Amino acid sequence: MATARRSKGESRFIRYLILGAWALFCLLPVIWFLSIGLRPRVEIITPRPIYWPTFSLDAWHMIWEDWPMGKYLRNSVLAIFGSVLIDLVLAIPAAFALSRYQFRGRDDIAFYILSTRMMAPAIVAIPIFFLFRNAGLLDTIWALMFVYAAINLSVVTWIIRSYMLDIPKELEDAARTDGASDLRILWEIIIPAVLPGIITASVIAMIFAINEFLFTLLIASTPDAYTMSVALANFTGGSDGVIYNAIALVAFLAFVPVFLVVVAIQKHLSRGLTMGAVKG
Amino acid sequence: MARIELEGIQKRWGDVWGVRDVNIDIADEEFVVFLGPSGCGKTTTMRMIAGLEDPSEGEVRMDGEVMNEIDARDRDVAMVFQGYALYPNMSIYENIRFPLRMRGVAKAEQDRLVREAAGMTELSEYLDRKPGALSGGQRQRAALARAIVRQPQAFLMDEPLSNLDAKLRQAMRVQIKHIQRELRITTVYVTHDQIEAMTLADRIVIMQSGAIQQIGTPDEIYSDPANTFVAGFIGAPPMNLIEGTLAEGTFTAPGVTVPGLGGAHGGPVTLGVRPEDCRVGGETSHASGTVYGVEPTGDMTYLTLKAGDKLLEIKAPRTYRAGLDSPETVAFDPAHIYLFDSATGARLR
Repeated sequence: MATARRSKGESRFIRYLILGAWALFCLLPVIWFLSIGLRPRVEIITPRPIYWPTFSLDAWHMIWEDWPMGKYLRNSVLAIFGSVLIDLVLAIPAAFALSRYQFRGRDDIAFYILSTRMMAPAIVAIPIFFLFRNAGLLDTIWALMFVYAAINLSVVTWIIRSYMLDIPKELEDAARTDGASDLRILWEIIIPAVLPGIITASVIAMIFAINEFLFTLLIASTPDAYTMSVALANFTGGSDGVIYNAIALVAFLAFVPVFLVVVAIQKHLSRGLTMGAVKG
Repeated sequence: MARIELEGIQKRWGDVWGVRDVNIDIADEEFVVFLGPSGCGKTTTMRMIAGLEDPSEGEVRMDGEVMNEIDARDRDVAMVFQGYALYPNMSIYENIRFPLRMRGVAKAEQDRLVREAAGMTELSEYLDRKPGALSGGQRQRAALARAIVRQPQAFLMDEPLSNLDAKLRQAMRVQIKHIQRELRITTVYVTHDQIEAMTLADRIVIMQSGAIQQIGTPDEIYSDPANTFVAGFIGAPPMNLIEGTLAEGTFTAPGVTVPGLGGAHGGPVTLGVRPEDCRVGGETSHASGTVYGVEPTGDMTYLTLKAGDKLLEIKAPRTYRAGLDSPETVAFDPAHIYLFDSATGARLR
């Protein structure tokens, strides 16, 4: 039979071609954003597509000079890192207790923690608004920090717990007979062993936080507490109309750091997203 | 360096019994092996000595002091685990040093002790490595080094060799025994491997279903088994156990007739005879049947004889050969025939 036999190089070329096309398709929105962000405003709202737009840093200058983008960025970073820190301080001991001790209602408590994630944000939005108003925390980064931390706490706890469940009990028994206290075991044995899980959980929490919009809009009423995601909304109204190139550029800037982190830890991330699939 | 006493130890989880009424007095410097099939309660018993498990009833005493209420980390026993349980994020040096650090040993002293323990276990050149970069045998030695480094009151070893291949296991066995003799530290060792038990132990404790079946030196366990479980568990191949009837001093079972057993007992009994106490051919014949299999091993030949519906294992001379299904007779050594009560399994003396 005269079957056409492809050479190794040929089949590899086809494989890369298909994967490359798929990657391009997935990256298209990002490329499109970048291309809109880096062209002058007049070239955005033309009836005919412009395939080779003029390169322009108009939007770039605008977002930094006309808008306090540096402040928004700082707010985002502080609120996000602060919230992740709060999450870790609370979630690591909780995950330790939920994974390593036997006590009545342990699994119910674990599920209750996760169930807070199932609540529609709109239900708690109004109470949270009043809560922070009474506490005098409206329009502060602190409020954002606490809200992000509260939203993410359940997921962070569950991811770290699932990693802790994988640590053999023998390791803990060994440390105990070696003379270590519970706190020592957590600090010296468990935390180093679940470090990939802690990093994964932190990144997932950061992604949620950076995209958070509803609560931020509710809490932040002045640039003092605006984050990148809310700042985006500022380009849609006012006397200037919708400033598409600025929106595109800010969206791109918000996307890049997350993208880089995800690429760097993607191996751990897939493990975190399938947590509890086998054990849990 | 401690005497360990277990008195009336029971362990149950709800309706499930782990350990029933265990009483042992382990002498200072003694090497005691808990032997039994998996699920027999041997590991649970050891974990109660370590303080990782609380007995439901009974007392654990070390040097006369009741340990029940004392936490594992204050008991000063060192444990070696089946899965090694090395701390994966620490170097071998850090692993060995960990118990010293936890107990607040002086810094300079720590270094000296770690190097000494590493020397004894031939790990000196691997101290900088992480456990993941070591072979199974090296990891096992590192676990051992971590146990010996602080000269504890007692060693507890839970199937420490079961993850190693046969050759390495034998080498490690010798090393463990040597170190134990040298340090003179009371050792409790759990295994399901009878060869390990026989070679290592001063005394063997055989357990089944949470209860002790027999305590004795390897010799006693081998030549004077208390019941059919012990008889069938020890020896490779294990003792032949033939169920039959004893009447007027003669034991009969399909294909087996053994006279001259005395008139003290009668009724349904189980006759036990070890493969090495059987002789093929000869003038007397206690069992006759057909050859089921012949396995030459070099220094001897295993003959499997089908007598009635029972397969008997016999250690035959190394030159022995026979065709399949050919008739054969076997004589038992009258000095090494054991009788057991068929109903209870207990030895009839």
